[in-house]
Amino acid sequence: MRKARFALLEAFIVAVVGLVLALGANALSPRGLRLTGNYFPGGAGSSSLAHSSTNSDTALAKPGSKKPLEATTLQRLQQRGLNIIGSNLVEEMFHDPRYEQGLVVFIDARDDSHYQAGHVPGAWQFDHYHAEQYLPTILPICLNAQKAVIYCTGGSCEDSEFAAIMLRDAGVPRDKLFVYTGGITEWINSGRAVEVGSRQSGAIKSKP
Amino acid sequence: MANLLPILARFSLGALFIYMGLNKALHPVEFLKLLREYDVLHTPFLLNLVASTLPWFEAFCGALLILGAAVRGTSVMLLAMLIPFTVLVLLRALAMHEGSGLPFCAIKFDCGCGAGEVRICHKLAENILLATLSAGLIFSRRPRLCLRHSLFLKDNE
Repeated sequence: MRKARFALLEAFIVAVVGLVLALGANALSPRGLRLTGNYFPGGAGSSSLAHSSTNSDTALAKPGSKKPLEATTLQRLQQRGLNIIGSNLVEEMFHDPRYEQGLVVFIDARDDSHYQAGHVPGAWQFDHYHAEQYLPTILPICLNAQKAVIYCTGGSCEDSEFAAIMLRDAGVPRDKLFVYTGGITEWINSGRAVEVGSRQSGAIKSKP
Repeated sequence: MANLLPILARFSLGALFIYMGLNKALHPVEFLKLLREYDVLHTPFLLNLVASTLPWFEAFCGALLILGAAVRGTSVMLLAMLIPFTVLVLLRALAMHEGSGLPFCAIKFDCGCGAGEVRICHKLAENILLATLSAGLIFSRRPRLCLRHSLFLKDNE
């Protein structure tokens, strides 16, 4: 009994010391999370939820649901009040003369390593998980633009939606924002070129 | 051999928890997204708190085990993390199994454990083994190669 009591007391001490150290490590880490931030505007709980990676191509939207991923994504975007844009319109916007003038902009909502590996040529990066780093640059660009196309990986990726909501909440009119649900995966699979490295690096890579 | 078992258990558990913990701590955003998929923490603060502290806490527990400090208390904490986490993983896998109609053991997903995508049956077996080792360390009476096996009791107690 005495030993059990001591073991529990020891566990409590480990928990308290561990928690304090963990909070300190998170605060010191350059990749640390902000405790008070909302990284999932529009709901902290998952809405796309788990996708089982099975051998089947039928991605699951919600555990227990047989709804295809695409249908769930569209429904979710509608619920969040976001405009959706498909592959053909994205192509049109990319070739729109206003793209060169910065009146149509593409926003890549993925993290730095994915962005550097290949993004829509000329797209700006907005990793909303580190909004404080990107928002001061991205916000004026979006406010100045007539249309902003936001994308991430595609499929189950929701980062483009969160980035769009964050931009909307920061003052960008809703009708300017378009979420490209196919994302970079669809862009590449459609045979379109990507820019590697930083924006306007000039390193354009086409699909072999 | 019996003398070596607690040491092996400590070192293997410790190394695994350090590896898994640091893997997540170095990619906190990825872990945050995976944690959200469980749909059990509904406020941003709680979600952020767990995602930012749990990986470091796991690494801390792993370090304590390897050092042989507060071994019983640390093992209790490991059990306190492993049991609810295993239940959550199981429930999620059951929901996926029900939704897809696929054999249970064919269900594969990234559970946020720090080792990427895993087959559910492997994960469950692994967690049961880890929980058994942790429980074994709580009752272990052979403190060898320990900095301070217990914070309160002497080594021979």
